Parts: sequence; C-alpha cells; structure tokens
Amino acid sequence: MPLLSDPIFGQTMITLMAAIVLVLQITLVAQKSLVSSIYVFALQSFLLAAIAGTIAWFTGAGHIYMAAVLTFLLKSLLLPAILIRLVEQIRIEHEMKPLLNVPVSVVISGMLTLLAYVVAEPLQQQMSFGSPSSLGHNTLPVAVALFLIGFFLIANRRKALSQVLALLSLENGLFLAAISLTYGMPLIVELGVFFDVLVAVLVLTILVGRIREAFDSMDVTRLSRLRG
Amino acid sequence: MTATVLHAVLQGLLLLLLSPLLSGLIRTAKARLQTRRGPSPLQPYRDLGKLLRKGMVIPETASPVFAAAPFVVFSTTLLAGLLAPTVFAAAPLSQFGGVLALVYLLGLGRFFLALAALDTGSAFGGMGSSREMTIAALAEPALMLAVFTVALTAGSTDPSRMAQAAIGQSWRFLAPSQMLAFTALFVVLLAETGRIPVDNPATHLELTMIHEAMILEYSGPWLALIEWSASIKQMVLLTLLANLFIPFTLASAPGVPAILSAAALYLLKLLLLAAAVVLVETTNAKMRLFRVPELLSVAFVLGALALISTFLFGGR
Amino acid sequence: MDPAHAAPTAYGLALSLFLAGWLLSLVLHVWRGTSLRLAGFVHWFALAGSAAAAAAGAAALVQDGSWRWAAPASAAGFSVSVRLDPLSAFFLLALAALALPVSAYSLGYIRHGAYGRSPVLRSGLLNLLLAALALIFTANHVILFLVAWEAGVAASYFLVTASHEQEETRHGGWMFLLMSRAGAGMIYIGLLMLSVSAGSLDFDRLSGAGSAMPGAASAAAFLLLFFGFGVKAGVIPLHAWLPAAHPVAPSNVSSLLSGIVIKTGIYGIARVCFDFYSALPPWAGMVVLAAGVISGLLGVLYALMEHDLKRLLAFHSIENIGIILMGFGGGMLLRSYGYPKLAALALAAGLFHTLNHAMFKGLLFLGAGAVVHETGTRNMEEMGGLIRRMPRTALYFLVGAVAISGLPPLNGFVSEWLTYQVLLAGFGTTAEVTRVAFPAAGAMLALTAALAAACFVKAYGITFLALPRSEHAREAAECAPSMRAGMAWLALACILLGLGAPWFMQVFDGVTMQLLKTRISLAAVSLSTASIQAPPPRTGAASPLALGLLLAAFGLVPWILWLLRRRRVTTAAGPVWDCGLPALSASNEYTATGFSKSIRMIFSVIFRPRREIQPRFEASPYFPSEIRFESEVRPAPGASLHSAVQEALLRLALRMRQIQAGSIHAYLAYIFVTLLLLLLFGVRS
Repeated sequence: MPLLSDPIFGQTMITLMAAIVLVLQITLVAQKSLVSSIYVFALQSFLLAAIAGTIAWFTGAGHIYMAAVLTFLLKSLLLPAILIRLVEQIRIEHEMKPLLNVPVSVVISGMLTLLAYVVAEPLQQQMSFGSPSSLGHNTLPVAVALFLIGFFLIANRRKALSQVLALLSLENGLFLAAISLTYGMPLIVELGVFFDVLVAVLVLTILVGRIREAFDSMDVTRLSRLRG
Repeated sequence: MTATVLHAVLQGLLLLLLSPLLSGLIRTAKARLQTRRGPSPLQPYRDLGKLLRKGMVIPETASPVFAAAPFVVFSTTLLAGLLAPTVFAAAPLSQFGGVLALVYLLGLGRFFLALAALDTGSAFGGMGSSREMTIAALAEPALMLAVFTVALTAGSTDPSRMAQAAIGQSWRFLAPSQMLAFTALFVVLLAETGRIPVDNPATHLELTMIHEAMILEYSGPWLALIEWSASIKQMVLLTLLANLFIPFTLASAPGVPAILSAAALYLLKLLLLAAAVVLVETTNAKMRLFRVPELLSVAFVLGALALISTFLFGGR
Repeated sequence: MDPAHAAPTAYGLALSLFLAGWLLSLVLHVWRGTSLRLAGFVHWFALAGSAAAAAAGAAALVQDGSWRWAAPASAAGFSVSVRLDPLSAFFLLALAALALPVSAYSLGYIRHGAYGRSPVLRSGLLNLLLAALALIFTANHVILFLVAWEAGVAASYFLVTASHEQEETRHGGWMFLLMSRAGAGMIYIGLLMLSVSAGSLDFDRLSGAGSAMPGAASAAAFLLLFFGFGVKAGVIPLHAWLPAAHPVAPSNVSSLLSGIVIKTGIYGIARVCFDFYSALPPWAGMVVLAAGVISGLLGVLYALMEHDLKRLLAFHSIENIGIILMGFGGGMLLRSYGYPKLAALALAAGLFHTLNHAMFKGLLFLGAGAVVHETGTRNMEEMGGLIRRMPRTALYFLVGAVAISGLPPLNGFVSEWLTYQVLLAGFGTTAEVTRVAFPAAGAMLALTAALAAACFVKAYGITFLALPRSEHAREAAECAPSMRAGMAWLALACILLGLGAPWFMQVFDGVTMQLLKTRISLAAVSLSTASIQAPPPRTGAASPLALGLLLAAFGLVPWILWLLRRRRVTTAAGPVWDCGLPALSASNEYTATGFSKSIRMIFSVIFRPRREIQPRFEASPYFPSEIRFESEVRPAPGASLHSAVQEALLRLALRMRQIQAGSIHAYLAYIFVTLLLLLLFGVRS
C-alpha cells in the first residue's frame, strides 16, 4: 500500500505529532520568556492543525479540512501575531514569575499527564484501534493532559498575558479531544468556538492594556486591590 | 570464546583510537560553525601524546586516592564501552552486564574522580566535585527512565537485545516513546559529558567550570588518562544513543561486506549525533548552575512521558 | 557431626554463650564493675556466641528445612518454643555475620571509655542484646517473641545511653524508648488479632492466618503490624528516633543498631507480609512500595544535609530500609497479581539488601567510631586528612562507601540491580497501577542511589581527604588491631558478597521455597557465566565477578605501563593552585555544608532552608571583621511525631495518677475488682 494512504502510517504520524504537542505544552510550563512561549504556542497550534489535516486526509471529511485551515490561520498565525504585538507594546518580555519554581511545575505537569492517562484509559478501552475509522482516537489522553496542564498553568502564572496563553493552550486540548474523538463537531459549533476564542483574546488584550495603565503592572495579584 | 575475545579487543581498540578523533571533530566543527578556524581534528591525539610523554607535578596534599583515580576512571570507562554494542548487534561482553551495569560503571569512575577532586584540598576541586555529583544525581533518574523505556519495549536490560528487538520494526523509532526517550537521553548526554549548556568544555574560567575544576591539579600522564577517558565516555554515550534508538544499521550476519557497511553506518550515525551536539553548543549559552536542574527536570519529565507513552497511545 | 544436628547444637551453644556472658557480667559487675579487662573478657562470649550463631544459621540454610524445639513444660499459654526455618536462619546468619566483627572491634574500642562508668555491665548487655535478637529471629511463639522484643529494647536502651551524662544522649535514648514502646504497642495488638483469628499463639499456626481473617480486620492487623515494625525499621515518618539514638550510642552499638536491630523490623515485615499473610490485596503492596520510595528518597536527602558523621550514617539507614521495602513492596504487588516467581526475586532482592546493608553500614559505623574516637568530635567539618593518619581505617571506609553507593562490583550493586529488575518486571503485569508505579519507583531508586553516591563522596572526601581541619584531626592515630580486624572482616564481606553473589543467591532458595513455593536460583542465577540474571521472559545479566576482574585488569595494565614510564620522567611534588595566595590552608577547603549547598538549593521545596548572615563591620563597610553564618533546614516530616506521642502519654499518665490514691483500701479494691473480672472471664470462656 502506498505510504500516503496507509492508515498505519497515518496513525504513526498522528501519534507522533500528538506527543510533540504534549511536549510543547510542558515546554510552555518550563518557559519563562513570553515571546518564546508565544512561539511555542504557535507551533503547538500548527501541529494541531496538521493532526486535523491528517485525519481529514485519511477520512476524507471536508469539514475537518476546514477546521484544520481555520486552526492554522487563527491560532498559529493571527493570535500569536496579536500577542506578540501586545508584548512589544507593554514591553514586558521576561517577567514571568510562576508561583512554583520550574522543576516542581514541570514534574507536576508530568503527574498531570499520568492522571490524564488514568482518566482516559477506561474510555480508550471501549474503542478499537488500527482501522481508518478510529484514526487519532489514541490521542484522547494527550487531549486531557493538555487540558489539565493548561488549567494548572493558568493557576500557576501571575501575569495576565501568560494566563491568556495558558487558556489558549487549554482550548487546544479541547480542540484535540473534539477532533480526535468525533472527527470534529459540526462546523458551525467550531466556528462559534473559534470566534469565542478570538473575542476572548481581543477583550483580554484590551484588559491587559487597561490593567497595565491602572496598576503599572500586569500582575493579576494586584487585582485584589480592586475590592472596596 | 576466541571470537568474543577478538571482538572485545577490536572494540576496545576502536574506542581507544577513535574517541579522541570524535572529540577533535566536534571541536573543529564547532569552531567552523562559529567562523573560527579552530584546531585540527587531530589535535586531541597530539595533546594526549604530549601529556603522556611529559613529567608531572603531584600536589603535596594528595593521597593515594588521587593516584588511583585516573586508573579507576580509565578502566571503568573502557569496560563500560565494552558493554555497549557498536558495529555488531551483540556487544562483546554483554553476558557480563547490561545497560544498568554500564551506567553504574560510569558512576564508579565519577565517584573516584569526585573524591580525587576533593583530595587536593583546593577549593576548585571541591566546587567541581560538588557540582559534578549534583548534576549526575539529577541526570541519573532521567537517564534511567529513558533506558527503562527501551528496556521495557525490548523486554531486556541487555543493550544488545534492546537493539536487536528493534531491528525489523521499521516504524518503531517514530513511536513517541522512542522519540521522547531519545530526547531525554540526549539532554542527559549533554550533562554527563560536560557540554554546553551544562558545562563548557573549553573554558578555564574558574567559577563556571565543573569537569575542568575537578581535574585542575592533574598533569602529565595522569591527566592524559583522564582526558582520554572523558573522550571514551562521550563516545560510549553517543554510541548508546545511536544504537539503542536507530539500530537498523547494526551487523547481525557475519561477512566482510556486511561488517564494513555496518561499521561505516555506525561512524555516520556518530558523526550525525556529534553534529547535533555541535549545533546545540553553538546555538545555546551556558546556563547558570541553578538553571541546570530546570533543564534536567525537563529531561526527567520527557523520560517519564516516554515511559507513559509506551502505553499512553493504546499500545498494549 | 551429623549435619541434621549441627544447626540445633550450634544454635543452643550460641544462645547459651550469650546468656552466660550476660549472667557472668552481672556477677563480675558486683566484683569489679569498672575493670576494662573484665569487660573485654565478657565480649569474648559475644564473639564465640556469634561464631556459633553463624554456624547455626549456615547449617540451617544448607539443610533446607525447618527445625523446631519446644520446652517440655509450658505454663498458662506461655511456652519457650523456637524454630529455625529458612527465614529465621537467614536473619540469624545476618546477625552473626555482623555480631562477630562488631564483637572483635569492641575488644579494642571499649578500652577508651566508650561504655561509661560500668563497662562490665554494658558488655554483658551487649550479650543480652545478641541473645534477644537471636530469639526474636527464631521465636516460634507470640509471647516468647514479645518477651525477646522487650528484652532487646531494654538492652539497646541501656547501651545507647552509655554516656548518659550528656543531655543529647538522654534525649536520644528517651526517643528510642518512646518510639519503640509505641511501635511495640501496635505489634502487640496486631499479633494478638492474628492469634485470636488462628486460635493459636504458635508462629507455625499463624502462617497464612492473616489472609483467613475477614477483610476489615485483616487490613487493620496488617496496617498495625506494618507500621509497628516500621517504627523499628525507621520508615519515614516513623523514623525520628533513629537519627537521635544512633549517633549518641557507642559506635559498636550504633553499628549493631543500624546493622541488625532495625532489621528486626524488616524481619517482622517479611514475616508478616509473606508468611502470616499468604495473600494481600494490591493496596498493601502499594503502601509498602510507597513507604519504601519515600523513606529512600527523603532518607538520602536528609543524610546529605548532615555534617555529623554518625547522624549522616543514621539517615542512610533510613534510605536503605527504603530500598529494602521497595523490593518487598514490589514482591507483594507481584504476588497479588499472580507472579510468584517474580515475587520470589523481589523478596530475595529485599533480603539480600538487608544483609548487604548490615555489612556495609556496620562497617561504616565502625569506621566512624574509630574516626570519632580519634578526633573527639562527630562534626565532619573538624576532620579531614585522616587518610594519612589512619590509612587502614580509610581503606575499609572507602570499601563501605563504594558498597553503599551501589557501585559495581561490590554487594550494594548486586542488590540494587536485582531491585531494578524487579521494578522493570512489574511492567509486564497486567495491572495499570503497577505499570505506572514500578518504573516510577525505579526512577526514584536511581535518584536515591545517585544522591547516595554524592553523599558518600562528601562523607569520605571531607572526613578522610585533603587537609586536616582541626588540631585533633592532625594528631589522629590509627586504631587498635582488634578494631581494624573487625572492619577488615566486614570490608571483605562486602567484596565477597558482591563478587560471589551468584553463588550466595542460592541461600535464598530455602526462603523463597518456604514462602512462595519457588526456587529463586533456578531463574535468577547462571553459574556458568558467574552472573545474576533477570528471570524469564525478560533478559539481562550482570556478573560482578567478571566485571571486577576486568576492572582490575583494565586498571592494572596502564598502571604497570605508568610504573615503567615513571623511571624516565620527572615527577615532582608541588603546591596546590590557590589563586596565588600565600599558602593553601584548611580554611580554603570546601566544607561539608558547602558541598551539599547545591542539593539544598535544588530541593528547597523539601528543605525550606533558612539562612542568616550577619557581617560585623568595624573600620570600613567593605571589609567585615567578622561574619556569623547560620543555616538550617526543615526537619523531615514526622520528626516531631515523638513529641505528639510523648504529650499523649503524659496526659494519659496524669489521668492515671488519680488512680494512685495512695490509700491501701483503694488498692485492695482494685485487686478485688480485677479478681472478680478474671473470675467472670474465666467462667464465661
């Protein structure tokens, strides 16, 4: 069977890309520089788009192509560009003071991955592998892990901007789960989600600017001062 | 029996004779990449030759531990090298010890070198010794996890078997567990062989060095032995990395053409990995000592992920 | 002699010698209690008794069966009944292998007042301790076991507090007593629960009794027994007594404490987990495995923070107990998932490490004893350069340090290698939990072992190498020949148990046959290549003997070449590079605290280090005339457990005081009530 239509090959590639996506998520935890984090996120989104594209290629489902292209344009090009501009505007590149230090948070991420596996394992057992119709099903634990680590990342960061980034990576997890389990939600739902994310980022961008103007910092812990 | 002895002798000679060249090539390539001319790749041979011919100064404060260390380091490193498969799928002495023995033999050498560093009473020695043992301790679990990953899929801790199990499974090296373990092991390699971003092999800047600080008081033939061992260790670790993860090139059948092509491919793999080391060294700055644990914790988690991946992706 | 009689005869002889030594000491104490010569004489009994015990253990293991004996008369449920089954025999052998060199060492060691003001009495107590230990390992009856247990605690307590003039010693002894009592309480309840269920107090009948109990009671008894024995073994968080009591005891006693007394806890755990419980649910194995991992890692981390040589060794005992429990826990899990062959390997790995730890930790404590005696301090920062003054001690200590760091080809490597194989084998099981937990435990074992190596580079380097850091260290002298003989024996044992491991492994056949119905040496040993191997279907082997010989050969060849070469080149002695300062002094050297600084920083999450630097300036703000530096780390979890126990006890004691009314009528009433209750109880049952 030619390589490009061999589902085993597709499976291998998807698995591999999912693994890299997971590694990138952990890199995001270990990364202190904002700009590098944004690039890592862009790369992660690109790989997600590629996974979606691969699934689309092997299943021939048109709307997944659509999702792949949208992900690529929106998440790996547009959003990173907006965020980079924001970083340049507020001229904060390095100041990411996580609550827990890097080795500890990296190890915690590892444990969360384990947890994700434990959670997703029972679901996986009900599925069959190795046929074109199950392509990508085995990435469910990775999706759960992305979600959990993203959540942990939001809790662990002080800067509003890095929290935005964490939220986006969390959303990547949801996307992966959707794309790999159900081969994508109906296109309209997906469009809605993308639009949501876009709006969220724009709002947060404005908010970050405002926080900075008001407090001369974008440390969200300062927001506690807002109470009366 | 005779075949084993011959194999061991040949592999020993290969390690002894080629390892300085590998170090030299890395040094030259690094210089070229940084648009310097750099020394000739043969320079390590000249250095070793010169050191071996020279007399030496032994510190007044040194004890027998200082004298024993170079020989212990040399013998442990060489023996470790004979436990790893190079050209053939079977390592010459694989019935005497597997990959665990290999790791622990290198540990024995490190133990004595760190003691010798403390032995002179110099503050640099103490500093190097402390740092070396710290970094080694942090690298060890990552190394073990990566090794476990391969050992688990192969069902053996014998590196020959680990390599053989992978031959014929053409997609295996693309499996996430293998990729992750490879990356983890590569980071460990950088730490264990004292490469940037963990240690700078070229520096003699007193406050940043690790390996150099430990051997500061050595001179003449003893220094030659230690430097030689360091080259061999680097080659052994690169070999492990090359042959555990990309074992298809190993010769399993006898016959001159098969062996020759396997040998050539083995050298090619080493060169490629060395090129990767050069690339990392050139594009990164040396880390502050307390950033190194961050790097190694990433390696540890990569190793753990590799292990989890072996069953994460539904592979039962 | 008929081999069938060899073991009982030697066993009886050993016990008689120990007890005779003790009784004799009581007499001699009255006559001339301060005579060091007499104290030495009493130690010969311990020496001879240990030799007999070694013979008994070895003979029983070779014989491969169980030998029982019970005193003809037994009163009120109490009977003196002993048994030498393979597990008992193995621990008896371990006891003897350590007690023999320690007794020899003691001959020289006690001459310098280590036993305080009544040396004869304490020499006798050493005999009593050995007798108690031998009985603990061989008792076949719950009551006898508990009596021996208490005798062991009492004897250890009085030995630990030999120098009771010092506050620190009294504190250490008190903690030991308190925690031992608390642990013993749990053991009492646990054993009685089992006995009630089995309807017998004989250990023979208790075999498998735990698994026959109903679920909740079975689990409760298991937990009580595991943690009760865990106190003795020093499992974190029940370890607090260990680093308090070990350092203050005389070093020969520390050596026994660390080498074998805490192993009574391991014996208890092995007996409970593999004999009394023939099957346990997986969570029990997870508890043991987790206790092992935590104890191993925290033990070595806290050892790294110590600069008190004997406390450092005490924390390493906790670490090694952790490694032993990793083997046991792995074995229990494998047994519960139905892999008896792998479980046997795990049990053998744990037991082997038990013996190995007795050898190298015994050796290290003896070495530390010699060093502490010569320098007059336990603080490593005041030692240094001792390799020149005490070359033999330094050599033996080095052997111990290499062995405990798990480096080939010595014995520590062998048992750690086996433990790795066990943990890797767990991956082959079907259960999800073990597939994750085993390799994770393996990684933690790697971290533990690597940190242990770092710690012993520090312990050895700071103590024996470089320049002396104090006047005492400069004037130290080599220790007495009998002390050196004791250390040499143990060093030799470390080497032989390493190189000869494939042959020695057959010793475990009896134990694994008894407890798991499988012979370990069939799967795990290949004598033709002198190697130990992973059990099928896994592969992988290690031959310490071959590795040792090859190492020697590869080291000797360049060494000989160098010797030939040396005639033609000049070698000169020169000063150490000191950045051009006038002369290198001891104050330039790295300290123990400095050495472990990087570890302290990296694991600051655990240690929460606090440090204070107070410079004092006089003339200029740039040149401080004096700097005060203070640093401490948060103690390991459970370090204050004893004070909680202590408070509870005191509160209870206050409550109890009200019973002590002082009136004779009240006491009579108590007696009357007790009588009534007993009558009722007797009639009803």
